[in-house]
Amino acid sequence: MADTDEAAAHLPASQDSAPQIETDLSDETQDFRFLNNLAFPSDSSQTSLPRRGEKDFEPNPTLYQADILDASRQAMHNALSHPRLHHPKHRVIAFYAPDGPAPPTNVTEEKDEKETTTNEDDEQNPKKATNADAGTGIGVPADSCVYVPNPKGQYFKSMGRADRWNRVWLLPEEALYLIERGSLDIRWPVSVTGPTAEEGEKDLGIPMSLQAAYACFTGRGGLSVERFSVYTGLRRLGYTVIRAPGWDDESDEVQDEESAPQQGLGIFGRFLHWLHSWNSSTGVTTTGPVVGLGIHRSYNDIYRKLAVIPYHDPVTPQFPRRKTTAPFRVVFHVYKPSTAFRKSAPPTPDFRIAVVNSRTQTTMPTLSQLGTLLESTPLDPPRGEKMDRMLYMRLRHGYRNVILAVVDQGVVSFLRVGDAAFGKEKIYAEKPPGPKKGGNRPRPKK
Amino acid sequence: MTSQPPSTPNPAPEVAEAASSKIEPTQENVRPAPARRPRPQRPNYRHIHRFPLPLTVHPLPPLFPHNPLSVISVVLSYLTYLISPPHQELYSAYFDSNTSSVHITDEKTIRALWEMGFFGKGSLSRSEPSWLEREKKRRGQFGGKTSEDVTRERRTERRELKLERARMEKLAIEQRLQAEAAAKENGTASPDVDADSTSNGTASTTEKFSLRKAREAKMLESQQSGEQTQMADSGNASPGRKTVRFSPVVQEKQFISDSTVLQLPESLIDGHKADEESLLKNEEHLQLSNEEALFLAYGLGALQVYDSDQKNTIPTSSLLTLFRQHSYFPPRSPAANLDPDDPFLVSYVVYHHYRSLGWIVRSGVKFGVDYILYNRGPVFSHAEFALVVIPSYDLPYWSETEERRAHAEEKQARSWWWLHCVNRVQAQVRKSLVICYVEVPPPDDAQALGNDIGALLGRYKVRDVTIKRWVPNRSRD
Repeated sequence: MADTDEAAAHLPASQDSAPQIETDLSDETQDFRFLNNLAFPSDSSQTSLPRRGEKDFEPNPTLYQADILDASRQAMHNALSHPRLHHPKHRVIAFYAPDGPAPPTNVTEEKDEKETTTNEDDEQNPKKATNADAGTGIGVPADSCVYVPNPKGQYFKSMGRADRWNRVWLLPEEALYLIERGSLDIRWPVSVTGPTAEEGEKDLGIPMSLQAAYACFTGRGGLSVERFSVYTGLRRLGYTVIRAPGWDDESDEVQDEESAPQQGLGIFGRFLHWLHSWNSSTGVTTTGPVVGLGIHRSYNDIYRKLAVIPYHDPVTPQFPRRKTTAPFRVVFHVYKPSTAFRKSAPPTPDFRIAVVNSRTQTTMPTLSQLGTLLESTPLDPPRGEKMDRMLYMRLRHGYRNVILAVVDQGVVSFLRVGDAAFGKEKIYAEKPPGPKKGGNRPRPKK
Repeated sequence: MTSQPPSTPNPAPEVAEAASSKIEPTQENVRPAPARRPRPQRPNYRHIHRFPLPLTVHPLPPLFPHNPLSVISVVLSYLTYLISPPHQELYSAYFDSNTSSVHITDEKTIRALWEMGFFGKGSLSRSEPSWLEREKKRRGQFGGKTSEDVTRERRTERRELKLERARMEKLAIEQRLQAEAAAKENGTASPDVDADSTSNGTASTTEKFSLRKAREAKMLESQQSGEQTQMADSGNASPGRKTVRFSPVVQEKQFISDSTVLQLPESLIDGHKADEESLLKNEEHLQLSNEEALFLAYGLGALQVYDSDQKNTIPTSSLLTLFRQHSYFPPRSPAANLDPDDPFLVSYVVYHHYRSLGWIVRSGVKFGVDYILYNRGPVFSHAEFALVVIPSYDLPYWSETEERRAHAEEKQARSWWWLHCVNRVQAQVRKSLVICYVEVPPPDDAQALGNDIGALLGRYKVRDVTIKRWVPNRSRD
């Protein structure tokens, strides 16, 4: 019936497969006339996004089409040639600190006085003291290399970490992302460039170019170009992206496993296993038939006897826990734009992402690589009202999940991997859908 | 009963029965048909495929603790089975070593294995063995509608709609051209205005014709055809409107495709009808995949496989060895050792696993995967899952020597390009991709196990993960 499936591809999505639609807007050729609709320069009241027009598939000799094409081209040129202005009020100046986080030079004397307040500060920020934080002594990640003395704007809600002098320290990817989108003006430190200012002026140093920023920040603190592509792509789409504990090669993601429900399932699993072994010890599996020669009472019994192949159960914890290996480890925690995010206490991430460079890791993960990666994520069983009803949805969701970002020379493709465990869903026990109720025709009672 | 004529007072119950049964069909006939084109009645698949496996089950009568009679009925049923055990059908097939496949030629067995569990494939059909039906139909004899016919009809219909759409688009373009020519002559009102007006985001005037729209338009056109012919007769008021037609090539093609279906039989019928009918013999056989054959023989005990000369049955353990040898090309000689990761064993483990969960497992070669999984069967719904089998060599044995490591590396390596390719194909046909890893055990124990198939299979382990493209654009909320 293969060809009937082919037909299904052209049908409008059925209810079940609706989330399956895999068209990417960015794949389409665009009709750029919608850009005319964008009100430049600064009308932020218009919040609805412009819609794109339909596309022509082949040229035809009408003037009309040529005009549309011209108009579209013109619109794109207009959009591109529009001067982008930075209001001095919104200008944020940052300083590059090549040696990593350090207390400010001019306040070293004050440090002793502030010693007492340090504890209070730490209590105010109940952040987890990760390994990365420990080295710096001023409460910011050791990989940070840019500080903003006077942070303002929305970006710092989900980026950077403040030290006790109210300077926000940015990680290399954060600084690079901000300078890339023109929201940050990074200055070279005076120690590198030498004094540049005239007498009596405040020395702000030389602005850093985008090229210099790329040169300085990529490769720093584990930031590869691949990781940055993923970071910046998701950021631009509105996601909040933070480093996961798996970023560094030494530390591994620690997950809190709830032990109580698993214990019960473990026992249940063991019981099933015992049933299994008891079943197979009867000897029918040696040469078959597995279902036995006697009278069969029901098909469910037959299916139960047929289950002789062991399968992996994602619910039972694996001991000993294996260590994930790069690149198959979670390096980013990603939050949807709608998720309430607090820098000081990040909630459970919506997505966990591992970044793979397809040029160095040319093959897809083996079972052990994928298995350890999945086991490093917390259990996320397919529960819920909708899931309980829909078998396919349960299977697609899986018990654990992780997203692989495969980067091939700057092109990122994301793959969601779910630990499906088909073995846990006995579809023979599912009731077949009842006879369809005839639309408006009353069924004969006979 | 109410519609009974009052002229027959007090009829006998049998008569009443007869009368009511007579009335019923007439009521059916009277009911107006809502669909314009009546759909052909589908066979009752729910009834045909009511048994999920080619085994008969004999459920015990329900036992009610408070009702002693039910206990008696249970005991009785036990007794009857004891005295005369129900006959379990044992089907036979034969192994053809030239093609490394299992064939079934017996008509009854073919039907049974297809209807109960969707095993095998007709050698001359797409999946269900339907060659005889199609052949009968082709020769003008009676034949039911096969799935191949349904597909052909649907394709014809879709092609017509696409042609219609192309015609409409062409029509629109010609109209536009004429309007532009007219505007040029007048030297006023350049169509730029039009183009600018569409810049409000939606280019509504260039709206394309979807298939649905084409269908609607076609219907509308057929309604208005009467009017239009009158208008065309009245003069060349609208010369551009009716000039666009199917190109002659397309029309010709359509004619050919219609004529092959309809006209060929008629020419045949006249001369040879009588002969053909008696000569028509089912040339088709059912071909089981080796996995299916082993599952039926070893798992269910419903099949016995004969060797090529159809004399001796092959015992199950030799059958497994035979299939494993034949999973290589050319088949390995019986003297050669078998590997624990030979393709047949790995794929049988997967086949057996999903069958034991109740899925209907069928070959997925048309979708570029190893298996596709149907819930209940292909006649009920499309397959939702597509399986790719990858052997996995995670046990320490496989990384002990350099040679084994290289072997494992070679067997399990799949490139990202391959994965994306498979994944995109599955998304196109609306299936979910499942990667099924099979953990391969070390080989030496396999020899020690001897002929214990159950123990051999129990050393493999299956783990399945679903793969789906994640589109950040669409996952934001």
